[in-house]
Amino acid sequence: MTRDRFLELADAHGSAVARWPAAEREAAAILMAAEPEFARQSLAAADRLDAALDLWAPLSVPQGLREVVIAAAPLARPRGGLRAWLLGAGVGAGLAAASAAGLVFGVVLSGNLAAPTDAPEAVRAAMAGYDDLSETTEGA
Amino acid sequence: MDSDPDEELLARVAQGDPAAVRALTGRKLPRVLALAGRMLGEASEAEDVAQEAMIRVWRQAPTWTPGVARFDTWLHRVTLNLCYDRLRRRREIPTETPPEQVDVGPAPDRGLEAADVGRRVGSAMQALPDRQREAVALCHYQDLTNIEAAAIMGVSVEALESLLSRGRRALRVALSDMVAP
Repeated sequence: MTRDRFLELADAHGSAVARWPAAEREAAAILMAAEPEFARQSLAAADRLDAALDLWAPLSVPQGLREVVIAAAPLARPRGGLRAWLLGAGVGAGLAAASAAGLVFGVVLSGNLAAPTDAPEAVRAAMAGYDDLSETTEGA
Repeated sequence: MDSDPDEELLARVAQGDPAAVRALTGRKLPRVLALAGRMLGEASEAEDVAQEAMIRVWRQAPTWTPGVARFDTWLHRVTLNLCYDRLRRRREIPTETPPEQVDVGPAPDRGLEAADVGRRVGSAMQALPDRQREAVALCHYQDLTNIEAAAIMGVSVEALESLLSRGRRALRVALSDMVAP
């Protein structure tokens, strides 16, 4: 590496040779070993500028910004969340259906024993096999 | 291309892993905000840019293709594009008052003098042409290699070196009283 090239690199990349292009670091190290005083003086000016630049501290992240950013991320639902809800709702609906069926079955059973002339309309409709109460009321 | 240190975390973000979201935010938000602050020299605008850049990360995560580009390189490019949008808008709609400079308030271990010096450096950086400021921001402050910075800027490493030289020379002149032997 020539002295001129060493100066160019210090001028562009600063005093930390570790920040210089990887392909030129070894040659720079050889020149530094061969001409330490030249290298020291060449890097000193770059080092003063680096030190001044480092005094401009970066912005620190406000807590509010961090929270806003995290809140904007699409997160997965808790594991099994929707499925568990649906399952729970299904079980609940199943139990309700079973209860209703039991009620109907009980009424049918009792109806066979004694006609429930005073049974509620809905129950009588169920006994008659109607799905829709309106059909029974219209026909009544 | 070496393996991308962000890829695994990004994949977990794509699956909606809250811990990965927090980790990636902790890793990238300070870098994105720092870059935007260096480019724009104004805190609230830099925060807006950083927020928008991170929202683009969340959008991009599910479709990110490993091995095509380094995630950090992509994120720097996105952030710079957003900064350039702001800089263009400033030129199109000149404001009566110049943007407030980044407040670099003194850290506990530094005195008022250091804060003043920091402000001066910030002003000198803002006075640089955009591309020179970008080169210095990427190489000195973001600590990227010349190859990474050149890729982000879409220039050759020789062109990057020229931008760096001119930028640092202008800074040396602007801060001559501070950097004199």
